[in-house]
Amino acid sequence: MDTLLTAEIAANSPRYRRRSSTFIDGVHDLPNENSSPMAPAQLYSTMSGRLFHSGRIAIVLVGLPARGKTHVSVSLCRYLQWLGVKTRVFHLGDYRRATMGPGVDVPDDYFFINASAASVMIRQKILKKCREDIYAWLNHENGQVAIYDAVNPLVNGRRSLAKEFAKHDVQTLFLESYVTDDKILQENARSVKISSPDFVGMDPDEAAQLYLKRIDMKIPYFETMSEPDLNYVKMINAGERISYNNVSFGYLSHRIVFYLMNLHIKSRHTFFARAGTSSQQDSYKLDAHLSHEGADYAKKMADTLLAHREAVRDDLIADGGSDSPLKPLTVWTSTRKRTVETAEYLEARGFKVRQRSQMSQLNPGVCEKLSENAIRRLFPDEVSLHEKDPYHHRYPRAESYHDLAVRLEPIILELEREQNDLLIIAHESVLRVLYGYLMACDAMSIPTLKFPRNEIIEIIPASYQNEAKRTIIPGVAEKIIPGSPEDIRIPVPSSGFVSPLSGMGTPAMNSGLGTPAEPNQNIAMSGQTSPLSKDAAVEPEKLKSNLSVRKPENPLSRD
Amino acid sequence: MELARPSKKTNGTGVQVEDTQICVVMVGLPARGKSLIAQKAQRYLRWLSIDAKVFNVGNYRRNDTPHPSAEFFDTSNAEGERMRRAAAVAAVNDMLKWFREGGLIGILDATNSTKERRRWIKDEMDKHGIETLYVESKCDDEDLIMSNILEVKTTSPDYVGQDPEEAAQDFRNRIRNYEKVYETIDEDENDMTYLKIMDVGKQVIINQIQDYLQSRVVYYLMNLHIKPRSIWLSRHGESEYNLGGQIGGDADLSPRGQEYAALLPALVRKSVGDDRPLTVWTSTLKRTIQTARHLPKNYNQLQWKALDELDSGLCDGMTYAEIKEQYPEDFAARDDDKYNYRYRGGESYRDVVIRLEPIIMELERSEDILIVTHQAVLRCIYAYFMKKDQRSSPWLNVPLHTLIKLTPRAYGTIENLTSSGISAVSTWRGQGSVAKHEDPPNGASSLGTAGDGGVA
Repeated sequence: MDTLLTAEIAANSPRYRRRSSTFIDGVHDLPNENSSPMAPAQLYSTMSGRLFHSGRIAIVLVGLPARGKTHVSVSLCRYLQWLGVKTRVFHLGDYRRATMGPGVDVPDDYFFINASAASVMIRQKILKKCREDIYAWLNHENGQVAIYDAVNPLVNGRRSLAKEFAKHDVQTLFLESYVTDDKILQENARSVKISSPDFVGMDPDEAAQLYLKRIDMKIPYFETMSEPDLNYVKMINAGERISYNNVSFGYLSHRIVFYLMNLHIKSRHTFFARAGTSSQQDSYKLDAHLSHEGADYAKKMADTLLAHREAVRDDLIADGGSDSPLKPLTVWTSTRKRTVETAEYLEARGFKVRQRSQMSQLNPGVCEKLSENAIRRLFPDEVSLHEKDPYHHRYPRAESYHDLAVRLEPIILELEREQNDLLIIAHESVLRVLYGYLMACDAMSIPTLKFPRNEIIEIIPASYQNEAKRTIIPGVAEKIIPGSPEDIRIPVPSSGFVSPLSGMGTPAMNSGLGTPAEPNQNIAMSGQTSPLSKDAAVEPEKLKSNLSVRKPENPLSRD
Repeated sequence: MELARPSKKTNGTGVQVEDTQICVVMVGLPARGKSLIAQKAQRYLRWLSIDAKVFNVGNYRRNDTPHPSAEFFDTSNAEGERMRRAAAVAAVNDMLKWFREGGLIGILDATNSTKERRRWIKDEMDKHGIETLYVESKCDDEDLIMSNILEVKTTSPDYVGQDPEEAAQDFRNRIRNYEKVYETIDEDENDMTYLKIMDVGKQVIINQIQDYLQSRVVYYLMNLHIKPRSIWLSRHGESEYNLGGQIGGDADLSPRGQEYAALLPALVRKSVGDDRPLTVWTSTLKRTIQTARHLPKNYNQLQWKALDELDSGLCDGMTYAEIKEQYPEDFAARDDDKYNYRYRGGESYRDVVIRLEPIIMELERSEDILIVTHQAVLRCIYAYFMKKDQRSSPWLNVPLHTLIKLTPRAYGTIENLTSSGISAVSTWRGQGSVAKHEDPPNGASSLGTAGDGGVA
């Protein structure tokens, strides 16, 4: 999925039927609900579709621009969806842009308390459309949580919002991001906002200053939350401190706080690599050692990764970026011998290696070492069940992908917490599930993701949807590239997708600078073709060209 | 109670915790539930194989002053002040010694009521590269304080053998003396990592969380609730595999196992005492689902993969005699350290505990759950609630065809066993014994008397 064609194009295209708050990606655009009965790590399902004994909840963001609200909303949404809570984000800024039209900014007094009648009208119109979508989601589309991403600067406004939601039988949880640390503000402003033409050619620090000053002028009134009667979670300085008040809906809110405790805004890359191969006779139960070939792979993989990290840093410096040293790299493996031994080369070079028993591969159960033909012959009923739902179906004694996702859930929080760059060496089944989380893949597409052994996949955090890139490991023997020998050899319905970065064909470059990946192409698994061609509203070619010349938005039109 | 450490010998490298050591410092006036929180946190962490230990400053002070009166705690009492300070120093020194020996999370259970005292602890810990996490329980709810006082006056060693009324009065005076100097955690201490819980969780502040382990501890403490409730546990009914002495597998219930399943609804209703429905959690294996299938329709049922029996890998479906014959070294290694031994291609008890962790978190926040699962899994859940150590918990005898009711209380968990009266084979095997299931001797373990299957 190309993230950049998102808001403006979608919102401004009169022929485009909006499915969600205008973004089309794994986080914002849920696949057809009927085809995806459960999310990756959903523990159970209920008749109402609502989990954790909670009703419908609006999570209302509070905070000035450049406080990381969008990052928090999107990350939280991804996590809740992963847990199976039907969640969608509504960015008020999208509605503002859609209403104002391309390139038109809101009036200067838009955020003022004593705004002109005309400005108030615009404000009402934008809010109305956004609220309507929120109610439609909660009332008619079986949504459980709506995340409302807007500034919501005033006590009175927040009180009446909570009242209004209560009238619709929706509980409100406010989530404020409050920043007192100038360094964080500067960093946020620099990283996200100054791509605007207004700041071209300016010193980045100066541009950030100017941008922040404009926010203060534009939104001069802001009251941080201290309302004793409201439910709120307040994050100060990107999680340095979190407080909550009166939060009464139990598990879900505690889960949110736990997640926020681990969420940080530092940009950190995650790399995925397969474990080396073992002998031909290996099986799940044997848990064999690496073969010579496997050890050779381990060395090549590590060397490629280290060289890649250096190269990216050099490029960055060449582009005038900071010459700060590389982030430390931590390595995670499962407790299976092949993964542990694949990391030994890196461990010997001084990198920190951690084993996580939750990361062992999908248990193949009775299918272990059986060929596809044998499985079809021995378990015809199971095969037909499996083909109907490859994500949730489990062969006798085996684990389903869903089981694996639930098992990996604690790892997700550690993953969010980790501040170092991270290399995860694991079995393909584990990589599929972790990739599925980071890239917000539809559950049904997760079993079909492919991680050829000669590729290192890199996930780069971005504010709306993370990006994935690949680096080819040169010189890996052809025969060890494809799927693992102890994978369940029963194919899921043929998908035509070859790698998690599908749609790109075979990459030829050993470069980290490839095109942003398109994981959500896999949404097509849910019976549609590509999310972009869904309504045939916009021709893909046209979108592509738009992509490259995408008009940078006025930084102040974002919230 | 030593934690069993993983080793190469037991076929597992174990799971590595980050190299952090944390001193959890309790803060709060007396009768605010500090000791309860400290004890629960210790139990949870040790169950997860994270070495944790509570250092109760009161115990150090009692060495010199077994039964102090309230005046002892008056800050103008210089002698009392000196002795209390000495007790804190002794506790901190012991904790540092314990950290040097590899301890991971030390919990300092005391009022730690002044900023000066808290700063001193942080400085001491900083010197040794140990993180500090302050946990303040601030509560002004009179009812809650009174119920805590009632608990203390009847259980505290300070008041052993004293008149309960006098004890309660003295304890109230002691609290008043602490109140005079008590300083709650505020902005001055924002450089510190702390969790401040006000009015039993109505308001919470979490400051400067440094790593995942700290967030885990904080999350656990947030999920604790104090509403009275019980948890019901049962093994599946006797299975066909049990009859043949085979371990693992996915067998159907034996005729006697089916009898137990038919009787289970009545057994449960009698134990619950009224008609309120329970939520039933089973594993995904046939024998637990079949065991739960006659329970009333209004009982919500959920299947958890995490409740499946310990995976015995290559040995799945074998009898102990076969394992001993084919894998004699493994058989001996498992006997030697059953908690850490990981079956080839399978799991160890340690692995099972890790996958059960989300279940425990769910259990902590839930009410009225009935779990139908397997022997090894039940041993792990039971060990959590009953604080069994890792050496003995894998050898616990969990009887078949018996309903277990656990009721967590402030200072321990009450257990009730109801036998169905339906007989079953034994699937229990003693440490170092012959390679087959046997009838456990009387008092083989604290839980029940008959033994049986699954992966014993």
